[in-house]
Amino acid sequence: MIYFEEAFRVLLANPVRTFLTIIGLIIGVGAVISIEVLGHSMAGSINETLGALADNSFIIFPVQTQKDFQKASLRLTDLDEITSSVPNVSSATVIGGVQELFRYEHNVGRFFMSADSNPPFANEPIKYGRTIDDDDIAQALDVVVISWKAYQRLFPDGGDPTGKSIYGGSRRYLVIGVRAQPRQGALNVNFGGDLSIPYTTYLREFVHGNRIFAARFTVNDPSSMTETEAAVIKRIRELRQVGSDVRYQTFDKAQFTQGVNSIFSAVTIVVGLIGAVSLLVAGIGVMNIMLVSITERTKEIGTRKAIGARRGQILTQFFIESALLSSIGCFTGMAIGLGIGGFVNSFFIVKLTGYTASLPYLQSFLITAIFAAIVTLAFGTYPAFRAAGLDPIEALRYE
Amino acid sequence: MNNGTSAIALREIKKTYKTGTLEVPVLHGIDLTVGHGEYVAIMGPSGSGKSTLMNIIGCLDRATSGTYVLDGEDVSHLNDNALAEIRLRKLGFVFQGFNLLARTDAIKNVSLPLFYAGVSGAERRRRAMAVLAEVGLTERAHHKPNELSGGQQQRVAIARALINDPAVLLADEPTGNLDTKTSADIMALFDKLHGSGRTIIMVTHDENVARRARRIIRILDGLIVADETPDATETTTTLRD
Repeated sequence: MIYFEEAFRVLLANPVRTFLTIIGLIIGVGAVISIEVLGHSMAGSINETLGALADNSFIIFPVQTQKDFQKASLRLTDLDEITSSVPNVSSATVIGGVQELFRYEHNVGRFFMSADSNPPFANEPIKYGRTIDDDDIAQALDVVVISWKAYQRLFPDGGDPTGKSIYGGSRRYLVIGVRAQPRQGALNVNFGGDLSIPYTTYLREFVHGNRIFAARFTVNDPSSMTETEAAVIKRIRELRQVGSDVRYQTFDKAQFTQGVNSIFSAVTIVVGLIGAVSLLVAGIGVMNIMLVSITERTKEIGTRKAIGARRGQILTQFFIESALLSSIGCFTGMAIGLGIGGFVNSFFIVKLTGYTASLPYLQSFLITAIFAAIVTLAFGTYPAFRAAGLDPIEALRYE
Repeated sequence: MNNGTSAIALREIKKTYKTGTLEVPVLHGIDLTVGHGEYVAIMGPSGSGKSTLMNIIGCLDRATSGTYVLDGEDVSHLNDNALAEIRLRKLGFVFQGFNLLARTDAIKNVSLPLFYAGVSGAERRRRAMAVLAEVGLTERAHHKPNELSGGQQQRVAIARALINDPAVLLADEPTGNLDTKTSADIMALFDKLHGSGRTIIMVTHDENVARRARRIIRILDGLIVADETPDATETTTTLRD
């Protein structure tokens, strides 16, 4: 294609000028793409972490700082009451845990043991054995699922520990499962605690009296989670005979996800603004240099017209030149942005989150292509029309 | 090319430029017919209107009134794109300053009009080589303008003007930027092209150059004041080798 060949020749004839023109595009697109890469990997790691949470359950507990905290506390008997009276609630379990010293043969460690149910609070992958099932809960068996951390401490020799017994205080638990090693990273949240036992076992052994700290409810329809939470709070206030001044805190995956998403949409707006400003500045640069180029080449344009180039052919030539200039700038910026983003990602983000995100090549390519198209259309059109509209006689006379 | 009509036929051509409210008449009614195969020089002092006449003949400009028939086609009232099409098919331009594309080798410069005409790459190269041979530059096909002498550059420009096999070859001071020796070479090339049947119209200040043509049109104040046919016999003997 002669047009591209000629456009390349023109751009390469003035390499410094070409570079200075596109440097704005390189910086702008580079910044946008590197932030895009980082945002992508941060969002990916947070979604991965949250993915372990079940999305059909929520936790509820009274706000601890309030004066009537004791009075507001849930009672064990409330749970059945709520399950049977509030629509959409399918089950309710107690939430709680204790610190204990655990021992297997001569290996010991202090761990947090929490009550769990079926399905488990966190859908974390299992390395050996299984999670707590309905039989374990129904019979309140002394079985335990241990975390990777506890497994390493209590079973330093490795191997499948299921079927072996560990001691927690004076109680004996049968190991039925080991959770897989979590990803390594500072942001990684361990939702499951170190050891999980059936909540019925927990109730029998550790809850004396009726008062509980918190409860977990599962729902049939996760889409009306918020309404169900409100209904449960209302019911608790009735059962506890407290007014609406007594506050209860709920926690579910959607709340968490929304918080994270609102941070990322703020980041996206900032990136978009940076992009728009750099686009404008760089685009003006492209237009300026195209106008200079056209003035310099007035005689050439006159010659082309004299030998028979039509208006549209001159237009095409200069339009392609703008497009090439913009594309080279934008795609160089994309390459640099992916490079910087990828570098920061693998040397900092991965260490922080333990999550290795793949680079968003397709999104980056689309963003870059849109940038290049906008710059070309907005800032290349006028110079191209100006070149095409030159009067051949005056253009030929131009020195 | 020779279809029985004349190469160009101008009838009552008038051109008036408007600058604000002031009307400046430049051509007052030019009648000129040039037959196929003629070699014509147009002479006249600055401001005589010869450049304007040349622009009209070259379809770069339109007359204010009058008719212009180029190679059997009335081009008096065509729009810009149609005029571009006429220039592409029927005219070849040779400029004083050569006007070649820099950093572009001879063969690509020569084939540019064919690109605008939509001719395929292989065909463009074949025809470019043919016209480069006609001007004696086969060896220099892949040299860029800055690697060529002034005379060679003008030969490339002439080859470019010839590549579309034009009805009329228009040359505007083609030797104006060349030394005497090189000018003689270029004039010899025009003689050769005339000898092979090309129609040539040349604008020049130089009486010696003009005398090489077979017909001299003299313009003064927008009118043709003389249409001479010099005694060609003595010049042709020195020109044919």
